[in-house]
Amino acid sequence: MENKDKILIIDDEEVVLESCTEILATSNYQLATAMNGDKGLKLMKDFQPDLIFLDLKMPGISGFEVLEQICAYDPTLVTVVITGYATIHSAVEAMKKGAYDFLPKPFTPEELRLITRRGLEKRRLVLDTIALKKEKEMLREHFATIVSHELKAPLNAVQQNLFALSAELSDKLTDDQNQLMNRMKIRIDDLLKLIHTWLRVFTVDIEKIKENFTKISLKDIITKAIESVQPHATRKDISILTSGKEVQSYIHGDEVTLVEALVNILNNAIKFSRLQSKILVSTETKDDEILISINDSGVGISKEDLPFIFGYYYIGRSSQTSERGSGIGLAITKRIIEAHDGSISVDSELGKGSIFTILLPIVKSKSHNQSTKKSEVYSNSQKGVAK
Amino acid sequence: MSQSKIILIIDDDPDFVDGLKSILKKANYTVDAAYNPKDGFQALQSKRYDLLLLDIMMGRGAEGIMLARKLNKDPKLREIPVLIITGIREQMAFLFPGQAVHPHLLPVDELVEKPVEPKLLLEKVSTLLKTAETRKAQTKK
Repeated sequence: MENKDKILIIDDEEVVLESCTEILATSNYQLATAMNGDKGLKLMKDFQPDLIFLDLKMPGISGFEVLEQICAYDPTLVTVVITGYATIHSAVEAMKKGAYDFLPKPFTPEELRLITRRGLEKRRLVLDTIALKKEKEMLREHFATIVSHELKAPLNAVQQNLFALSAELSDKLTDDQNQLMNRMKIRIDDLLKLIHTWLRVFTVDIEKIKENFTKISLKDIITKAIESVQPHATRKDISILTSGKEVQSYIHGDEVTLVEALVNILNNAIKFSRLQSKILVSTETKDDEILISINDSGVGISKEDLPFIFGYYYIGRSSQTSERGSGIGLAITKRIIEAHDGSISVDSELGKGSIFTILLPIVKSKSHNQSTKKSEVYSNSQKGVAK
Repeated sequence: MSQSKIILIIDDDPDFVDGLKSILKKANYTVDAAYNPKDGFQALQSKRYDLLLLDIMMGRGAEGIMLARKLNKDPKLREIPVLIITGIREQMAFLFPGQAVHPHLLPVDELVEKPVEPKLLLEKVSTLLKTAETRKAQTKK
């Protein structure tokens, strides 16, 4: 059985109710009527209409109040207001408050049918949009589970057995054979990490981190980021230096993702730097913003590549090194920084190195509490100078 | 003279289980395996185990977590030390947003990520066994 569209008409004039019922009866609708706002609202909950016609001028609770309650109850309900005195003013007012359209009295049967069709069409579109959004959300969330099970599970099993085998055989295998084992393990590990990164891009809605923003110390995130990449740097004998030691500024953000953003840039810097070179992380404040720059003297980025490096799946063609990335790191970094109302830019020259610059707004005491004194923490301005 | 400890693995991937088994057996543990939460729960009820290795993501989702919660309600079974094995850290964050990565589902539990290096696996297993023994000795007093 198909579902009939349900229409509720709330009007204190019996004539209006009767004539509307009569006009709409020729179409395949399910109708209900109420003589006042209270009954109308009660009926709305029992009858679950798709479209509501609502008279603005009624004794008892006013049409505007009813409209407000309808919107509060279910914002997807489509309401058309019937304006007795055809004042544009109240019609506009009602539409501001959530009504979809208005029908001025007196109206012709054709006008009523037309607006009914349009109202129901609107309702269908609203419901479809919600359904599609839900589906999209579900797909995104299920993707994590599916990918992890279908792609990662076999790799985990292979890797686990390799671990077991190489542990059992380590003293029986020649050095070369052990090396082959190790190379297999490393390659599988790389693959697992790559899947992990992709999974993150598809499943994590970076905008959602805004819900958990707290006041965090810039110094903390820089320290943590450097700690995290230190082993990578040590392997290439690269030293990471910091300047602008008075990084006591605070920002409003999410520590985990900000550290991740910095780690991505630092890892790139290390990846594309020569052995025994230096990477400089410097900070300074500029008005209401904090500036973090990461400066390497690595292979640099060509002019042709520069405009694209923050895009997804972009891997620079000019890079001569054997190091290759997933083409995702910088894109994620950019999204993270932008979710913090910041910006990121890059300046680079082939063969000389790159400077990545991040700008982030400094936390304002005002945003939390109007009454707190302005002269908080950041007032003594800091000027970290890169040497 | 110490008798070999008995470990139960509950994980829905038999190949992965074999990898773990081989490492544990070489270290002189006795190992049983169950490939779904239901069989695993039955095994736990019918035999005394010294340690449980539990996969968190089984079947249609976090069935391992449901099993862990079930164990936690059982006054006897909740005393078994559990090593939780998880596919990825991120998944834990999805399941328990805003919490520390390690959820602590049972009195004595630890967390490792798949795949797990033999050295780390054996370390975690022996630490858990020790912790459980200390706990047992304390409660007896």
